[in-house]
Amino acid sequence: MVSRVLVPIDDSKMSERALEYALEVYPDAEITVLHVVGKPSQMWGHATGLALADDLEDAAAEHAEPIFDRAREIVADAGGDAELETRIELGNPARAIIDRANDYETVVIGTHSGSVVDRVFVGNIAEKVVQGSPVPVVVVR
Amino acid sequence: MVSVLLLVGILVAVFVGYNVGGATTGPAFGPAVGADAISKTAAGVLMTVFFFVGAWTIGRRVVDTLGRELVRDPSVFTLEASIGVLFFIGAALFVGNFFGVPASTSMTAVGSIAGLGLAAGELNVAVMGEIAIWWIVSPFIGFWVSLIIGRYFYSSLNRRLAMTRSAGPLYRIDRSRRVPIPFPTDTTTWRELGGVTMVIAIGCLMAFSSGTSNIANAIAPLVGSGELEMNPAIVIGCAAVGIGTVTIARRTLETMGNELTELPLTAAIVTATVSASLVIFLSAIGIPASFVIIATMCIIGLGWGRATRPITVADAVRGEESVPVSVDALTADEEGNELPSIGDEDPERIPSAVDLFNPATTARVVLMQNIVPLIATVGAYATFRFVPIFGL
Repeated sequence: MVSRVLVPIDDSKMSERALEYALEVYPDAEITVLHVVGKPSQMWGHATGLALADDLEDAAAEHAEPIFDRAREIVADAGGDAELETRIELGNPARAIIDRANDYETVVIGTHSGSVVDRVFVGNIAEKVVQGSPVPVVVVR
Repeated sequence: MVSVLLLVGILVAVFVGYNVGGATTGPAFGPAVGADAISKTAAGVLMTVFFFVGAWTIGRRVVDTLGRELVRDPSVFTLEASIGVLFFIGAALFVGNFFGVPASTSMTAVGSIAGLGLAAGELNVAVMGEIAIWWIVSPFIGFWVSLIIGRYFYSSLNRRLAMTRSAGPLYRIDRSRRVPIPFPTDTTTWRELGGVTMVIAIGCLMAFSSGTSNIANAIAPLVGSGELEMNPAIVIGCAAVGIGTVTIARRTLETMGNELTELPLTAAIVTATVSASLVIFLSAIGIPASFVIIATMCIIGLGWGRATRPITVADAVRGEESVPVSVDALTADEEGNELPSIGDEDPERIPSAVDLFNPATTARVVLMQNIVPLIATVGAYATFRFVPIFGL
């Protein structure tokens, strides 16, 4: 029985599906949503700009809050009363997810995130997580 | 009598110029507009004026390189082929603006013309090689210069550039005389005035550098074809850029947060100055420069230099200390804060957001900036080689 599940999310439709799937298949598990901020951008301005804030943690939390709000909505819609754990990581998404995965029994992740720019500059995160994760990965499409 | 085909060529060139104006006003005057130093219209006007000065003085050398030297025989620039080349440049600009993948217009222009030259068997490999070498060398120069600035001068620059905007308007216009003259209002401090002047001056420098390197992208094929003289071509190109700076640039100035404006003001100023100077230098020796890649390497270099600052050179040489290396080290300082002098600083003070900076990811980003020019090169070669409508 799986009791600790990690669901990496961003603002894409696919990651919403992943969370819905996780709620459905592991109704009793403790689910943690992970959002990575400060991912690589075209001229490195995004990561730098984020880090330039007075307080790095505050700024990161501010970026992640809308994403987490959406996740809580999804949990509420699924009728779950499950407590949703949230986590914020910095930098390269795939690397951050893989580093965290050890604390969980399963990772549930969407196949891909939305934009062309992310594809070009970050690559397919799910693919890298599948290759590098120390725990089983469920890829949702 | 102006032929229909030439008219189409000029229209496509105007389209390219229009997009150049829209795309380059943001990086140049984004910081100034963001700091409320000037209005968007004023930014557009300054952009156009300095773009024209850059294009007229130095820009023509790059036009020569692209239009007359990169291909051994400029007669390959038939009007059809010129329009084809301009089409590829315009498409690259469109992809860059639409998908947000930054594409160097100059690299795309060189790529499409090289594709044409290759297809016609007239590519001047020596010139192409010289350009390619500078494309590799110039980002590294930008990287190292920024690294030195970040390591040794950033904190004092940061102190000096500390700029707080006071309440109230910056200046009032004195209309009592024959010529209206702006005067600083009572709330405006000298320091503030200096800061604002500096931000605007750097915008003008960027606009000038953009003119030196970008005018060729719009007009080089037409000038190369001999259908248009250099001077009228420059005027037409700059007029098109001007239209772009006061129309679509208004939108890009406010919606598309460009990467330079995400940096703190001091870092943006350093990056802009270093990369604009490099671009002007390259244009002066006739090399079309890639601002996007140079600026990216400057941002990375600045951060890296800043991050290595807490240890003195002696310590570093002896290898007694290791420090977190990250671009976000710039964030350790707020603009205008007092900083401990070199060597006194505790490495722990820098936030350990090392994860934001990763060599492999950085390399990927820089490589990916070459993807649009590469596609344009291959596309241009295939088109000119196999589609028999270009009169080659």
